[in-house]
Amino acid sequence: MKTSAVFSAALSLLSLVSPSSAKSTTTAASPSKPPQVWKNANLVHIISVEKNYVKENINVLVENISKQPQDEYFLLLTADEASRLGGVEVKDRKNAKAGPFGVEVVELDPKSNDQYIRIKLPAALNAGAQQTLGISYYLLKAYKPLPATIKQEDQQFLAHSFSALCPSAYVTSKQKTEVKLPSANVPDYTKLPGSGDVKEFPVKSGAKLTYGPFDEKPAGAVEPAQVRFEFNKPVSHVTELERDIEVSHWGGNVAFEERYTLIHRGANLSDQFNRVKWAQAAYYQPNTHALKEMKFPLRVGSADPYYTDVIGNVSTSRFRSNKREALLEIKPRYPLFGGWKYPFTIGWNSDAKNFLRQTVNGGYILNVPFLEGPKQPEGIEYEQVQVRVILPEGAENVKYSTTVPQSSITSDDVEIQKTFLDTIGRTVLVIKARNLVDDLRERELVVSYDYPLSASLRKPLIVFGSVMALFVGTWVLGNLDLKFTSK
Amino acid sequence: MDSALHEVWQAASGRPFVPTIGKDSHFLIGFSLLILGIGLSGAFVINRSLVNVPVLGLPASLALAFGVVYMFCAVGVYV
Repeated sequence: MKTSAVFSAALSLLSLVSPSSAKSTTTAASPSKPPQVWKNANLVHIISVEKNYVKENINVLVENISKQPQDEYFLLLTADEASRLGGVEVKDRKNAKAGPFGVEVVELDPKSNDQYIRIKLPAALNAGAQQTLGISYYLLKAYKPLPATIKQEDQQFLAHSFSALCPSAYVTSKQKTEVKLPSANVPDYTKLPGSGDVKEFPVKSGAKLTYGPFDEKPAGAVEPAQVRFEFNKPVSHVTELERDIEVSHWGGNVAFEERYTLIHRGANLSDQFNRVKWAQAAYYQPNTHALKEMKFPLRVGSADPYYTDVIGNVSTSRFRSNKREALLEIKPRYPLFGGWKYPFTIGWNSDAKNFLRQTVNGGYILNVPFLEGPKQPEGIEYEQVQVRVILPEGAENVKYSTTVPQSSITSDDVEIQKTFLDTIGRTVLVIKARNLVDDLRERELVVSYDYPLSASLRKPLIVFGSVMALFVGTWVLGNLDLKFTSK
Repeated sequence: MDSALHEVWQAASGRPFVPTIGKDSHFLIGFSLLILGIGLSGAFVINRSLVNVPVLGLPASLALAFGVVYMFCAVGVYV
């Protein structure tokens, strides 16, 4: 017990030192299962499949059943879920000010399929005490289209597999699982024998399925279930997003550029794409599972937008900009059906005063959104995100902080990039994150840096020096006497 | 999140970064400085004396230096 506590303390220290270790593996010294020191007195598991990613909320009343105070709670996951997991956040449901909760995905036994989210409580809970945790996270690539191929005008159905019993590392006294669906059209779902007054689980009310309440279940108990529901919307998935934010002090500008690799993960077309049917459907059946438009609500003050793909400029876009909004609406070059890809680039400018401030002690501070992707009613998910903040040449002492959940950040580096008029290259802060969703698009990224006057004068001084050398060189060459003398 | 940086951001609310030359004037300033620099260079080329290196070369280099930087910004390459 004691060794494990010491070890886990050392491990959490390690994780503090390197934020890149989003997932860590413990060695043979630690137990392969979390110690049974907690009991879930009451657990409500909400699985929301309303968007094209799954949002799960676990609200659990935990009780310390050991003799010592405890400050680590483990949440059970499968290895597959852990690879698709993102945006883990933990709150105290009763006390919003309690926190922060440390969150880390750990693998206690490398041979086992079980992985855990280790939640570090802000304060240890005494023996017998209870606390209500609200754990929320997202699962990407969650659905399978069923049927896998459909016609262009057909409705799309997706299937999602889950466990009707919330997988837990501890004994659970009472629990229920709610599945929130995008519509009431749910042709298939797993039925389970009920308990108490209810003859059969789940209870269906509108677009919600409720499994439970279940009585006491042992640790690790699962009950595989599947639900198949109508989802006649695109299943947009961004495999990679590269977002560049370039700060210019000379120009007083912050330039944004985003390069998307977008794929539709929905049902593939069973027949050839039919352009005539597509044009007709626009009139009599505007609801489609194809992706035909994306809306990017940018910050007010954004200007000079561009939208390109591998061919070049794409003219099917519209930009509404006024004092209240800056909305970029783009249509892909072709409607995007299941299995189809569309890589594209968008970019825009904004005045530096909207994002950049001078601090009291002479430094600069930049506050930009971490993500600014499309805002779609069906949502959008990002597998890999790379945010590059390109600071002016000579910027130093770079620090950052973000409200994106720390467990989603995989690495952060400061690099150098050379471009126009650069001599030593610009300081670039590169932050890599994974498994993000559009729910997190308003999260902030704050970057502070120092930028001395000497560094800011480097560009004109380089040009000045070169031109001056040219003048002196011209004069020297002009004075060389190359004539033949006749002595 | 480390809230310290967020507090720094809040504390700096009255000090947005405003550049010395605004975006609207980049082209005018850049173009004028470049013309001036090229003109002075031309004058130097006509009369290449040692005195003219500091008298014409120095202001020409300065004008070209800042002119180039602002012209870059004026055409949308925000350096």
